[in-house]
Amino acid sequence: MTALASNHWLRPWGRGFRDAVMLPAWVVGLSLMGVGTLARDVGYPVEAAILSTILVWAGPSQVLFFASVAAGAAWSAIALAIGFASLRFLPMTVALLPLLRRPGQSVAQQMLIAHFVAVTSWVEALRRLPHLPPEERVPYFLGFANALIVVSSFTTFVGFQLAGVVPAPVAAGLLCLTPIFFLSSMVAGIRGLADAVAIGLGLALAPLAGWAIGGGFDLIASGLVGGSVAFLVQRWRKARKAGA
Amino acid sequence: MTQPIAFLDGPWWPYLALLLFAVLPTEIWRWLAVAFARRLDEQSPWLEWVRLVATSLLAGVVAKLVLAAPGALAGVPLAVRLAALAVAVTIVLLSRSKVMLAVLAGEAVLIGGALWLG
Repeated sequence: MTALASNHWLRPWGRGFRDAVMLPAWVVGLSLMGVGTLARDVGYPVEAAILSTILVWAGPSQVLFFASVAAGAAWSAIALAIGFASLRFLPMTVALLPLLRRPGQSVAQQMLIAHFVAVTSWVEALRRLPHLPPEERVPYFLGFANALIVVSSFTTFVGFQLAGVVPAPVAAGLLCLTPIFFLSSMVAGIRGLADAVAIGLGLALAPLAGWAIGGGFDLIASGLVGGSVAFLVQRWRKARKAGA
Repeated sequence: MTQPIAFLDGPWWPYLALLLFAVLPTEIWRWLAVAFARRLDEQSPWLEWVRLVATSLLAGVVAKLVLAAPGALAGVPLAVRLAALAVAVTIVLLSRSKVMLAVLAGEAVLIGGALWLG
């Protein structure tokens, strides 16, 4: 019975793991390599860099953390900015959990599943899980997410170690991985004018706010203004479409 | 560099700071989702607002990382940093979202530019 049960778990878990290692894990891993480099830059130990990948498991939060510490932002501002940047996990997780709900599932198991929600695992899970029989979904999702985390922990480690030995231009390239990756995936995800406005205003306002406010609250202020303007643009377009 | 909180400082400070100011504010939303999963309206305009604010905030992080660059990146001329971003964005827009290709091209511009001008 136990062997049967473990087989039921292991096989879909392994399939999820393999599907992630085929490509998605390396894309995420590449984006988190720069986190290791950033962590080294602020003098944090390599263990803290890897733990940030395992426990935070959100590239934007990790980058915000190390970049803000480097910039000398207030701790309260760092936590607030990360909290705001991570708010998206609430609706994302809420949307994913019904796909993974099983009879008799404990709160602890739901919390474990929720921890693995990040952009890539979420996008891929929403795409892949509906095609799987419900009893295979949880192990498949865990296998997939575990592969992402294992590969990313490795690349975070590599990013940290490489920063000390490679020539300056390559070290600069490692540090620039994060902004290039973020901007590219944000632009790839644009679904309408509002998204483009939010990105454009964020890029333009953050340096201005940094000069006017500083202390880390500048990012929150520029995000609130840029996001709210983008939201109003979206409302206005919807209202006009409804009226026309 | 943000200084450690004095009475909590010690060899464990980096881990404590990570837990308090990065893990907690990130993880809390995943836990709240478990608690409220059955009671939240996914179509609510508030969630759309939250998504746009987060997008704008992250774009701001990109701008700050490139303009007020950390470490070795500061040694690369600003024009090269901006060119790397511009090339990556152009490729994403032209190639219908091939992010990996865009990142590699942006990196090539940055490292090539740094070697050539540095």
